[in-house]
Amino acid sequence: MSRLSRRWKLILPLGVLAVTASVLVSTSIAASRASAGEIRVAIMTDCKGAFGFGYEIDIGGAQAALAQYAGGKVKNPKKPSAGMTGIKAGGKNVRIVGYGCGDDTVPTAVKETRRLMEQLRADVMIGPLSGDEAVYVARYAKSHPTKTFIIGTAGSQDPTLQLAQPNVFRYHGDGAQWNAGTGEIAYKKLGWRNAAIIMDDYSFGWTSAAGLIADFCAIGGKITKRVYPPLNTTDYSSYVQQLPAPDTVDGYFWVVGGTGTAASLKAFEQQYGALKPSQHIGNLFFAFLGADKVVAPKVVGSYVGGFGTGPGLKTRAAKAYEAVVAKHYPGLNGGNYADGFVYNYYNAAWALVQGLTKSGGQLGKALQNALPRTLKPGYQVTNNGVLRLDRNRQAIQDQYPLQVVKNGDAIGTAVVGYVPNVDQSFGGLFKKTSPPPGRTQPPCVKKSMPWQGKIKVVTNGVITNQTLK
Amino acid sequence: MTFEPKQTTERVLALAALVVAALGPVIFNDYWVDAILTQVFIVGIAAASLIFLAAYGGMISLAQTALMGSAGFMIGNMVTVGEGGGESKGLTLGWDPTLSLVLALIGTTLLGMIFGAVASRSFGIYFLMITLTFSVITFYFVGQVTIVSGFSGIGGIDRYTPGFVGDIVTDRYRLYYIALGVALGVYALIRYVGRTPFGVSLQGIRDEHVRMTSLGYVVPLHRMLAFGFAAFLASLAGILLVWWQGQIAPGDVGLGATIDLLIVAVIGGLGRIEGAWIGALAFIVINNYIRDSWLTELLDTLRIGGSFNTIIGVVFLLIVVLSPDGLMGLWDRAWSTVRRPRGGSGVTVASPAQHG
Repeated sequence: MSRLSRRWKLILPLGVLAVTASVLVSTSIAASRASAGEIRVAIMTDCKGAFGFGYEIDIGGAQAALAQYAGGKVKNPKKPSAGMTGIKAGGKNVRIVGYGCGDDTVPTAVKETRRLMEQLRADVMIGPLSGDEAVYVARYAKSHPTKTFIIGTAGSQDPTLQLAQPNVFRYHGDGAQWNAGTGEIAYKKLGWRNAAIIMDDYSFGWTSAAGLIADFCAIGGKITKRVYPPLNTTDYSSYVQQLPAPDTVDGYFWVVGGTGTAASLKAFEQQYGALKPSQHIGNLFFAFLGADKVVAPKVVGSYVGGFGTGPGLKTRAAKAYEAVVAKHYPGLNGGNYADGFVYNYYNAAWALVQGLTKSGGQLGKALQNALPRTLKPGYQVTNNGVLRLDRNRQAIQDQYPLQVVKNGDAIGTAVVGYVPNVDQSFGGLFKKTSPPPGRTQPPCVKKSMPWQGKIKVVTNGVITNQTLK
Repeated sequence: MTFEPKQTTERVLALAALVVAALGPVIFNDYWVDAILTQVFIVGIAAASLIFLAAYGGMISLAQTALMGSAGFMIGNMVTVGEGGGESKGLTLGWDPTLSLVLALIGTTLLGMIFGAVASRSFGIYFLMITLTFSVITFYFVGQVTIVSGFSGIGGIDRYTPGFVGDIVTDRYRLYYIALGVALGVYALIRYVGRTPFGVSLQGIRDEHVRMTSLGYVVPLHRMLAFGFAAFLASLAGILLVWWQGQIAPGDVGLGATIDLLIVAVIGGLGRIEGAWIGALAFIVINNYIRDSWLTELLDTLRIGGSFNTIIGVVFLLIVVLSPDGLMGLWDRAWSTVRRPRGGSGVTVASPAQHG
């Protein structure tokens, strides 16, 4: 090796190191700059993993509310993560100190939460996005009581039932709540009495399935078989094999997400032939989170559990909410604003603005006391459109079961029912001391649900007075 | 005794680093102490177990993350309590924390020896693939056997520490010093083991395993024991990891985490044990700060893709191309360039890059 090349082999890496170090130092100095009295907010979402597509959508939802109610100026309407300036609430400047980049796993949530809350010194977090992450954030909240956490969109039950920290708020339903009413539809509209369920084997899969099971069994249905394929399974044939044959059961509930939804349905088709829509009900994975393109065309006519939103609902509040998002971030999520990702982050940020206004910009306990216990979000109809939090600071929310429909060539969803005031406990079935949803939890029991027999039929986006029969 | 400028400089630097580390809570803010440096010590221990196998045994193992995680899952299942507002995931056996700690260390070491026994007759790419398989098996086992964890993982583990460890939930400096102490102990232990007859014969196996066999050494047994020892070191990192983050989840032993540990070891340098902590420091600091940097923003604006992974990938590539022995190799080369008459290092071991 010549002397020159030896030198270069030393100088080049040292140069790389110097550049990297200078970038890091300049960043750390910038991160540590904080003007006195400003409120530091972090938005935690996923930029990788199964929900990575939700990154801009979530940020857009939250920032649309900050733009509308706290005077925030959108930097780039096509790219919410470009940031926002000029936010003011409670007489103080609000700064978005960072966006968390999770990948729906706990270890990344650990690192990102600490980066946002400790390195970037956020006072408030809006987020995270997925179930397991929210469980971690709720645990983290326990040891950081002065920080406030408003969950973005997460379907796990634990954060606000088993863990229920006083500094954790959730202004939307959990995965079980989203499915309320769907079991009753299966029983009454489709005449199901015995059904099987196939569910992803992790916290969101269990919680979402728990909603379907509890609702269906409460009215008198029986779950004859529960099958739980592992997350990220690619070949579902052996799990489909475990399901009872179509002539021995009235129907199937599907709680399989990500790429698994299409793969599991395909395995079913290979085993038993074409899918009969009246024999299959899915959770939100049949219609949301990218399923509209791949999965929905296979199951036109099937009923689907909701996402706490009412797509196409023709109420004044729904239209007003959609107009606000469209004003600040036109075309966000392909113009589909009735998506839980947009809606839930929007409501979380809106609640934060109200809380800060009431607390006069005070943080910690003062903010936690001031955060609203009621909100008037777009898709709430009951109580004159007022959504209430329960004593665990968990939303009691209206739910909207859906149906996959075809309009000409377009395949979409239509709201078929309005389920008023769904609470997290399902009429006392889920308690702080009860085991969280799992493979065999909850058991299938007939019981009275607060919304049983009160589901209203929704036609063309209008809630009718007709009760579901 | 001859004067070795490089060795002396290294000793002075090591002493200075030790003083800075010992005064960490005085010098650095809480975030740096708890989130960065404590993590550096822990990840460094895991990387040291990988570097030990690579530098002394010529074995590049991808199973160290899995072994580290196994210790975490073992202790998590053993110590947590399910009743009365406790944890909802895992076996929640509620055993004594000290007993659980010992059982987790022994259990992981035995697991490492079993892994080692299976892999000990393989070399090069085959060894790498077998250890990768261990890693994948571990990930799917803890993810899919929901009785021991499930994808949500087990939480609240840091509340159940042995009496001699004390409360690490509120007193984070305590955990910092424990991690620092264990890291120093691991470094000293590896240096010691490397000089024992076992360590020397292991280096012989690394260089010429056929010749060592003909000399009468039982090569697979040596390699299995080395794997067991490295598993013990990884288990220490695993215990500290669950105390540090309070929980353990399959993502901690996933493919991403496995690759991250390999990157830490390669950035630090697979030839020298010190590289483990240097690599961990570089990796973790870049991970923490690059995300919010103007560089990421610039790359993002240029639509090159400004994510952390892209940047760490480029840094990794540059280091592998320009300094295959990592940052420690760069240091060694800087000395030999500055002082043409070569300076020696007492602790340099042959690069495993040539041994695979």
